[in-house]
Amino acid sequence: MKNLKKSYEKLYKIKPLMRFKTIISTLEGIVFGTSEITAGAPHFVDNMDIKRYMSIAIIALIPSAAAAVYFFKLHAVELILVSYISGGIAEVLFALIRKKDIEEGFLVTGLIFPLILPPSTPLWVASVGIIFGVIFGKELFGGTGRNIFNPALVGRLFVTISFPQIMTSSWQLPFVDTVTAATPLGLFKTAHVLTPYIKLLLGTSAGSMGETFRIGVIIGGLFLMFTRVSNWRIPFSYIGTVLLLSWIGNFFLPAKIAPPLFQLLSGGLLFGAMFMATDPVTSPYTLPGKLIFGFLAGIVTILIRAFSGYAEGVMFSIIMMNGFTPLIDSFVINLKYRPLRNER
Amino acid sequence: MIIKKRKFTGGYTFKNFKGEPSDELVKPEIPERVIIPLKQGFGDEVNAAVKKGDSVTAGQIIGINDESISSPVHSTVNGTVEDIKKAEYFGRLINTVVIKSDVTPDFKPHEAGTSSWKNLPEEKLEEVLYMAGVTSLGRSGIPTRYKSSAILPGEVEHIIIDGVQSDIYNLSLTLLLAGKGLNQFIEGIDILKAIMPRASVHIAVNKYQKSIIKKIDESADNRKINIYPLDPKYPQGYDEVIIPTILGREFPFGFNAFNMGIIVLDIQAVLHVYEAVVLKKPLIERLIALAGPGFTENFHIKVRIGTQIDYIVKNRVKPDTSLRYILNSPLWGNTVTDLSLPVDRTVNCISCLVEDRDGEAFSFARPGISKDSYSKTFAANYFPFKKTINTNTHGEERACIFCNYCQDVCPSGLVPHLLYHYVERDMVDDILLRYRIFNCIDCNLCGYVCPSKINPAMYIKQGREKLTGMGINPKESVLRRFKLKGVKENKQVNSEYYNGDKS
Ligand code: SF4
Ligand code: SF4
Repeated sequence: MKNLKKSYEKLYKIKPLMRFKTIISTLEGIVFGTSEITAGAPHFVDNMDIKRYMSIAIIALIPSAAAAVYFFKLHAVELILVSYISGGIAEVLFALIRKKDIEEGFLVTGLIFPLILPPSTPLWVASVGIIFGVIFGKELFGGTGRNIFNPALVGRLFVTISFPQIMTSSWQLPFVDTVTAATPLGLFKTAHVLTPYIKLLLGTSAGSMGETFRIGVIIGGLFLMFTRVSNWRIPFSYIGTVLLLSWIGNFFLPAKIAPPLFQLLSGGLLFGAMFMATDPVTSPYTLPGKLIFGFLAGIVTILIRAFSGYAEGVMFSIIMMNGFTPLIDSFVINLKYRPLRNER
Repeated sequence: MIIKKRKFTGGYTFKNFKGEPSDELVKPEIPERVIIPLKQGFGDEVNAAVKKGDSVTAGQIIGINDESISSPVHSTVNGTVEDIKKAEYFGRLINTVVIKSDVTPDFKPHEAGTSSWKNLPEEKLEEVLYMAGVTSLGRSGIPTRYKSSAILPGEVEHIIIDGVQSDIYNLSLTLLLAGKGLNQFIEGIDILKAIMPRASVHIAVNKYQKSIIKKIDESADNRKINIYPLDPKYPQGYDEVIIPTILGREFPFGFNAFNMGIIVLDIQAVLHVYEAVVLKKPLIERLIALAGPGFTENFHIKVRIGTQIDYIVKNRVKPDTSLRYILNSPLWGNTVTDLSLPVDRTVNCISCLVEDRDGEAFSFARPGISKDSYSKTFAANYFPFKKTINTNTHGEERACIFCNYCQDVCPSGLVPHLLYHYVERDMVDDILLRYRIFNCIDCNLCGYVCPSKINPAMYIKQGREKLTGMGINPKESVLRRFKLKGVKENKQVNSEYYNGDKS
């Protein structure tokens, strides 16, 4: 391995390749590990790094991704590939411009994005969406860690608004190629039909590619929390709020607001709460802030689901709360740290 | 009396690392030369009381200053003074006395010491401790009427003895308290009680050392000693953490424990108290752990204070390996760049880690059977294998992703990444005071856990230095909330105890 590394390092001596230095050094980091050492105390550090952090997130998404491939066969594979390739190109271009290593965070964005698309999305739409998401959701803010909105959601929102025809009316059921049906939430809204819970759990109902196999989503989400990659507070307060509000709402307005369990198991609530609302960069870092974030997102979700023209409100509510995140954080921080003057 | 106690929030338990020192004790030959810094432990630098060419005996006082807050310093070998010179000792320029020794092991006992110390008047007892130099131990010193601390013995309300073993490498309690050690320890406490009659005694012990807790409890008899079995969670042993945990009192950050009328000592310091009084032995020797995988064998070693580090580590480290020596713990200690520097009274441990510049292929994708991590993503989180430790960063530096790890582990309840972002963008002003930048106790945990390989602790330190440079005094802001003792004296004394890092 050492010899291999030595010969790899010779690449840095080849002049014309230096234009692609970031790619070479990113690859080196992945394959050979880092040769950096600590500068001073602490003289040894945690083995966790961003690569592993993101890998764990990807592992947690595997059940959902595998279910998508199982349900929608080749088209699911194609969508994931298209998302990775076109988003990856945008990512690499920006890394080259910025002369920094390619950011691992994209690997998660690139997988989440196809999973929140309707299964019949044309490939070109997916490609446009992820490129838009990467550029306008992340890179223009300065890259991972500085973005305000979840890039996958930015891309999804963009295609929803730009191509409403394609994005909201063509829901394909698993296994059957031609039939399009409304999502369970849509069915409730238009025809007041409650899809059976078991169908919702197993994923044999219409919905975005990755969100329908809810057992997998729950397992993945719990795995993330257990490994400390995500924090339980946001999913807890988000889902809790939705359950509570729909329980109350269903009591008074049964025609508009579906019962709690149905709210929980339909649409993108579980997927959004487990994988998107918990994105550390775009959600509050203060612990009370996380609870507030989930609580507000829960209210918005119920409001949209019940009273707007849209059947689903998870996506909007999360992206909206992303925008409020800095506000929530500074609110909590200012409450927590009173000005010192008061202490005298 | 054993008292089960609460925990503190934050912190992280370092356990099962390679290179932990065994209970074995090695006594090396007396070194041929010692270098004795004239500032050791708590207190100010003292004036040299010897000249170049003087012959000295082990235990003879070679530096003393009765005017300032300080304790005497002793020669630790028999021999002649070779030189007295200013030298840089871990970031501080201080006078050092270089003594060439004749390698004889005997020392000059303290005349005033006696095993029937109970008959001595308080004043005499305090004098023995002061003259033996043990009053400089602990981050707050042991108060006597000889200006060894900023407060007087009568003002001490609590004595806390720390045996929590919360660092990654710790002195072995079994070894310290082996044989007569236990009774000596208890008698040491009696002596402390005799000079500080108002103080109640609290002993914090690693809760997994069940047999030791039991033994201490048994030998404490009906003395009023509170024993607290505590989780060995780092940084439990820090004054700022152990005092709130045990006494439930808020710590006035920026001040010293003695300002609250509390002194915190470790177990070895109490044993030194016993030795000074009963065995008439001045503070010339210390137990030090040789820890870390850089050593071929890890054990404890009893060395004369002032022994040069290379004399201690010679032939005990792995050959042909690039190594990093650290004075004290790898979590907060200083890198030893010059091996000819000596160990002083505050050193508990010399750590030696392997400098690993090689990296590991696909390290992020390995199960990690021997890799420690705050996140629970490695197999080592679930299996009891010994964990590796080296100086590699295990990943490239990336932008902060607000993963919250640093915030979760911070024992002072700060938001390290928030402070880091301010300092990094050079926005250093009053707002950092409000975010309690001066409450950081330099435990470095935030730098340990960060997956983005940022070291917020380093930036926080920079920010504090800038703020002090701007003339901002953090201490003013806490004054009126606490009833503090010895504040005026505190201003004069440089209360740094450990070398460099801790202030
Ligand atoms: S901010 Fe200070 S006290 Fe908090 S974890 Fe970092 S070094 Fe420790
Ligand atoms: S541990 Fe590192 S990446 Fe995580 S919030 Fe703190 S500074 Fe940011």
